[in-house]
Amino acid sequence: MKHIVLLAALALAASTGANAQQRIDRNQIINSLYQTEATVARLDPIALEAAAAAAAASGGDNAPGPLSDSLSAYPQLSIEINFDRGSARIRPESYHAVGLIADALHTPYLMGQRLVIVGHTDATGGRELNFNLSKQRAASIYDALTTTFNVPAAGLVAIGLGEEQLQDPANPDSGVNRRVQIINLGE
Amino acid sequence: MFKRSMAALAMVVGLAGPASADTIGYADAITLLANSCGSDIGKYCPKANLGNWEIGRCLMQNRANLSGQCAADLVRVGQSIEARKAAQASAEQICATDIRRRCPMTEAGRGRVLQCLLKAERTVSAACNAAITNAGWR
Repeated sequence: MKHIVLLAALALAASTGANAQQRIDRNQIINSLYQTEATVARLDPIALEAAAAAAAASGGDNAPGPLSDSLSAYPQLSIEINFDRGSARIRPESYHAVGLIADALHTPYLMGQRLVIVGHTDATGGRELNFNLSKQRAASIYDALTTTFNVPAAGLVAIGLGEEQLQDPANPDSGVNRRVQIINLGE
Repeated sequence: MFKRSMAALAMVVGLAGPASADTIGYADAITLLANSCGSDIGKYCPKANLGNWEIGRCLMQNRANLSGQCAADLVRVGQSIEARKAAQASAEQICATDIRRRCPMTEAGRGRVLQCLLKAERTVSAACNAAITNAGWR
């Protein structure tokens, strides 16, 4: 339930444009990702990424539908992080957001959890290109967290899903699809 | 790489020994850098990424050209990040006695032990409380 509320909040934040990134604070990230009971999620992030790679390689311009319906069952949040166009370089205006994620992951509430960083693109451009870009961008955030911000790498995984898991399938080219999703798979 | 660049940075400003600055949160620290160095990053480091402290190292390489505010905050942010890392590395040892005394029944797992220490804050030693704060674990 929690993620639904948060997505609504994000949509609201997105409509105010530049303020979007200032609207989230560390405790909101913790609350969105916190597991109240020790859940062991069935989701295999590496298999999911492999499915996205295969789907992206199947050609065509637009992905037919979401890869997984179970993603929404886990504690998660989506954050807007800006990258240079066609690149995995995090833009300085998004340093704050990445720093907030780091601050949240260093609290005991999220320590020791298995977390997946999922990169998504919109449907503009080729599927394979988008898949590779989303993968590189997720890796870029993983790198920033585990090196510059010293988040323990154990339990943290980064995958890309390209345009294969759109936030808004009715508007495949919409900016809301470009997002970084963080999912907590539990201990 | 990171350590080396921090050491180089400390030498440049004439500091000796480990960084001693109070730590600030990662979000606050890196936002300070983004704000103070925004235009310098655009000019000198348009390709540097956040990971592996690429951005800090790139700015250091261009330190002669940086604005005064950027140069000062680059040092401050670098020290804070480094001090936080040091606090994280030493906290478990500093808190060992407190963990034995206050959390003997806590199931292993860093998060759980930490939550126990946070709950017992009033009876935990000042050194351990300070280490947890400086590590950013509150």
